[in-house]
Parts: sequence; structure tokens; C-alpha cells
Amino acid sequence: MANTLIEAKNLKQYFNTPRGKLHAVDDMSFSIEKGTTMGVVGESGCGKSTLGRTMIHLLESTGGQILFNGEDITKVNKKQLIKLREEMQIIFQDPFSSLNPRMTVSETVTEPLLLSKRFSKKEAEERADEIMNTVGLSARLWNSYPHELDGGRRQRIGVARAIALTPSFVVCDEPVSALDVSIQAQILNLMQDLQEKNDLTYLFITHDLSVVRHISQNICVMYLGQMVESSPSKELFQRPLHPYTKALLSAIPSTDVRHKKERILLKGELVSPVNPKPGCRFAARCNYACDRCHEPQKLEKVSPGHFVSCCRVNEIN
Amino acid sequence: MLKENMKTSDFLLSVRDLKVVYTSAGATVHAVNGVSFDIRRGESLGLVGETGAGKTTIAKAILGILPDPPAKILNGEIILEDGDLRNLPEKEMRKVRGKKISMIFQDPMTALNPLLTVGDQIAEVVLLHESVSKKEAMNKAMEMLEMVGIPADRYADFPHQFSGGMKQRVVIAIALACNPQLLLADEPTTALDVTIQAQVMDMISALQKKLNTSMLLITHDLGVVAESCDNVAVIYAGEIVEYASKENLFLDPAHPYTLGLFGSLPSLTGDVDRLTPIPGLPPDPENLPDGCSFHPRCRYAAEECKHGSVPFKEVSPDHFVHCHMCHCEKEV
Repeated sequence: MANTLIEAKNLKQYFNTPRGKLHAVDDMSFSIEKGTTMGVVGESGCGKSTLGRTMIHLLESTGGQILFNGEDITKVNKKQLIKLREEMQIIFQDPFSSLNPRMTVSETVTEPLLLSKRFSKKEAEERADEIMNTVGLSARLWNSYPHELDGGRRQRIGVARAIALTPSFVVCDEPVSALDVSIQAQILNLMQDLQEKNDLTYLFITHDLSVVRHISQNICVMYLGQMVESSPSKELFQRPLHPYTKALLSAIPSTDVRHKKERILLKGELVSPVNPKPGCRFAARCNYACDRCHEPQKLEKVSPGHFVSCCRVNEIN
Repeated sequence: MLKENMKTSDFLLSVRDLKVVYTSAGATVHAVNGVSFDIRRGESLGLVGETGAGKTTIAKAILGILPDPPAKILNGEIILEDGDLRNLPEKEMRKVRGKKISMIFQDPMTALNPLLTVGDQIAEVVLLHESVSKKEAMNKAMEMLEMVGIPADRYADFPHQFSGGMKQRVVIAIALACNPQLLLADEPTTALDVTIQAQVMDMISALQKKLNTSMLLITHDLGVVAESCDNVAVIYAGEIVEYASKENLFLDPAHPYTLGLFGSLPSLTGDVDRLTPIPGLPPDPENLPDGCSFHPRCRYAAEECKHGSVPFKEVSPDHFVHCHMCHCEKEV
């Protein structure tokens, strides 16, 4: 696509453990258009955080490619990586542990500016002042420490730090999960405003389906390192096709007190991602599992932008 | 809610005007500021509010496990059946905990003893409260494991051998082993994935119906409340601001804070361009505002909201709101 900012092609991230190779991210392919948000959803241990960190080179991928503005960035050297860092940033989940407790707000926000060597101290401070204003941090917090602030304000510092060098791509790793509902709404609005203003592209990782639906144009569903479904947001909720996506959506508690919700209850437990057998990793818990599920599954296009990795997708739906 | 013509004996649990503070280094945190509610047998009440609203403090006050110091119950009655729990000596209170009232804590990872098998942890509570032999207690423990969907042959396994969802089910088995009349569940599924959350909440509801257990469910998740509770109390700055049946709360929310909470939530069905967060931050519990605690953040706030006490109004039968500005039938 002409407007693709970043693309993953057969991306793999495996870790060596004493018990064997852990397949954290297994053969994932997707692309994200500039100025849009791709949501990545899945449960604990599915590999979504690992995916996010691999995309911005915090972890070196085991295989596959990552194309940023058309160029493969998986094998960059240190000098190129430093330049790349200005373009690709990350907002972490825990607004407390991701901030240096011994640095004030201003020190945290000016740090990336000073490290880039493109700003003098005075320029960096002016820019930091601007950014703090943009993210809604009052100027009187200039010399405050993280422990003096609440979760919402700390997360705003995380956002300020991430956008300081005007990146084009930001990985948001569960940025609002640790926040109360009303503060969550403030931060989500802020992120949307920033996206519109600066044409930012987000990879938004979360386990909260209502948040991801609100903020993403496209959503990718992961299960144990595999991409099982990828689709435009509204369509995913109206027409989920993969059995796991269906179960996930049915599990969300509903605030509709008038209609009782039909639940798809999954049987069994998760299989281990260490030395996994070939085929679909969801098969052990799937109500539709058959013999063909033990062969490697292909990601098939079902409708524009909607891909599913399930050999029985047409029979089930 | 208690009206003048009702007796406390209509209810299993009645909490009246509970006030709790935490004091340390000269500062006083007003955690719970005059909370009253009732729960009937077999009924479940959801306590909804954000971090620091006072929900866990209320549950711990009921169970008598608030650390003193720094916590202090300044005022209030906690009436279980017909007796005020606050009048019980500690020796008697120990007989209540685990037997008449049980609690499920938020984090299953830290609620279990890592050095004891799961079976023994369930059997332990049975041995403490029932006059049975060790073998009978073990049998009961295996029965409870099966009831929560864990094969009984896992009796001799240790907590670290289970996943988060299974650990929480063990915690539930321990809480229900002596068939308590009241279950206090403090964010029982927050630490769990949504598919496991669904399994656990369904199981709690089924067991509740089977054993006719009442439940106080503490959560910030409105979806969980909608599916698991009969009535809901919304808590803000240590006070109940709205109290209603779940139908009334979700179909006809009245308090500006409740409206704000609903407005902050992204929807799974509708579409909005931007969410409508509640402006500002929750108040400092060391320094609560005069008048209505919510008034600094309330778009409807008027002069009368800033000083003096706030009335409890019954906006429709059994639907109460702690607010000057809400339209109402009559003041209670």
C-alpha cells in the first residue's frame, strides 16, 4: 500500500529457555498505514508486548523482516539505530516503574532531546515546556518527582517523553490499563488529539476490547504468538470469524442489563509456547477442532482487510 | 437501603453510618465517611468506585481486619443477623471469619500460602471451624476442588503449579468451604484475563445460587457488576453517592459522578469521536472539599453544593441519590 509506514513480514521472536525454544512471536505479517492505529489484542502471555518491543528494536528479532518506510530495519548497525530511535518510540504500561524516580518531570522530558544532540540546553527546555503544555502537564510540575504525582499525570510524562522527538511511530504497550476509568478516558483523548495533530501511527497493545475498539482502525488478535485474525475494528466486533475471537468477545461482561449474554466457554488450559507442535495453538481448546488443525494454518483473506487463520473458517461461519 | 418502617432483621448484613480514618504522622485520611447499606440473604451488592474511594476499607471493616493503628473505626454499626460485630471480642470474631463471613482478596498470586498444598489450605479452614476429623476435612476439600472445576487429584499440588485463574478458584474454594452466609469479594477477577474472568464469575454466581450466599462484590468494572449483582452502590470519596438495583443504575443513572463514569467508558457498540472524561482528579482524602465531595468536578454544581450537608433523595422506588441537583420524588 502506498501509505504504509511500517510492515512486519513473517516476523519471529523466539527465546531460548532451559526447557527449549519459546515461540513468543511466530510468523506474523501485517502492515500499518501512516496516521492510523493498529490494535493488538490477546490475553496474558500471547506475545503482544514482545511483538511491540520487537517492532521498535528493543529486542532483536529471530527471523523475518520489519520494513519501516520501505526499508528493512532488522539488521541495522548501532549508528543507524540511534537515528531510528527518534522515529520510533514506546509508551509503557506502568507509569511508575517506567519513570526514573530520581528525575524530575523536566529532566525526563528533556533527556531525549539532549541525547539527540540537536538541541542546546536552553532549546531543550523550551521544547520541553511546549510538550508539557501539549500533554496537559502544568508548568508548576517542572521540578516534581514521579512519586509526588498520581497515575494519570505520570502517564502523561510517559507520553511527553515518547513524543519529544516527534517520532512517526509509537508503540503503546497497555498505556491505560493501570489507570482508573475516568483518567483512562483523559489519556485516550490526549493520544487521539496527538495522533491527529502530528500524524502519528500507533501500535496499540491492550487486553481491553472496548478501549481497542474505540481507538483503533484495525485490530489484530493474537493467541500464543500466532496471529489468528486481523480486521478493521468495527467489522471485528460485528463479524468475528476465528473461534478464539468469538470466545474472547463473548467473554466481555456486558452492561446491557436487559439481555442475558450468551457465553462461549473455553475448555482446557493454554498449551505451552515452548517447542510447540505445528498447527493452530488454539486447537486444544477449540470447539471446532479437527485433524486439519494440526497442520500449519494459512492466513487467508476473507474480505477487504479481513484476514483469518483457520482451516474451518468458511464452515463455521 | 433502610427506610424507617424496615427492621434490620429483614437483612443479613446492615452497615450503619460507618466512618473510618487512617492516621499517621499527624495526617488524617478520611477513608470512609458515613456509609450505610444492607444486604438480604442470597442477594449480591456491587460496590463500585475508583482507586481510593474506600471500597476495600469497608470490606475490611466488616471483617474486622483493619490494622489499628493506623486505621480507626470512628463510628458505625456492622450488624450481622442481629448482633453488632463491633461488639464481639476478637476470640468470637475469629469464629465469624471463614465461617459466617469469608473474603476473596484481589490478587490470587499472593493470597495463597506457597508452602502448603492447595488441598491442605482448603482443609485448614474446615478444621478450624467445624468439629470434623482430619480425613473428613480432606474429603470436604476435595469436594470443594471439584466444585470449583479443579480435579480432586490435584489436592497435593502447590500454588505455583497452577495458573492465575486456577489459583483464584482455589481461593474461592477456601472462601466457600464452610458455607458462609456472606462472601466479600474484593476485585476477584481484576488480575485475570477476560476469558478466565468469565469462567470465574459464572462459577461464583452458580455457587452463590446453590448455597444461597450473599455477596458484597467490590469492583471498578461496571460490566462485571451488571452481570453479577442485584443492587449497586456507587462510592466516591468514602461516601455512597448512588444506590439502586442494577436495572435502575444502568438504565437510569442519576448522580453526576455515575453519569461521568458511564461517559468515560468506551463502548462496544456505539461510536463516539472522543470520550467524555470527568474533569479534574479525585479529591485528596486528607483534605476533602466542603459540602458535596464531588462538587469541584461537577458540571451541575450550584452554590448550595459547596457547603453544608447533602440530602439523600429517593428518585424512584429504592433508587437513592446523594445530591442536591438531582430531580427527585422526595427527600428521605
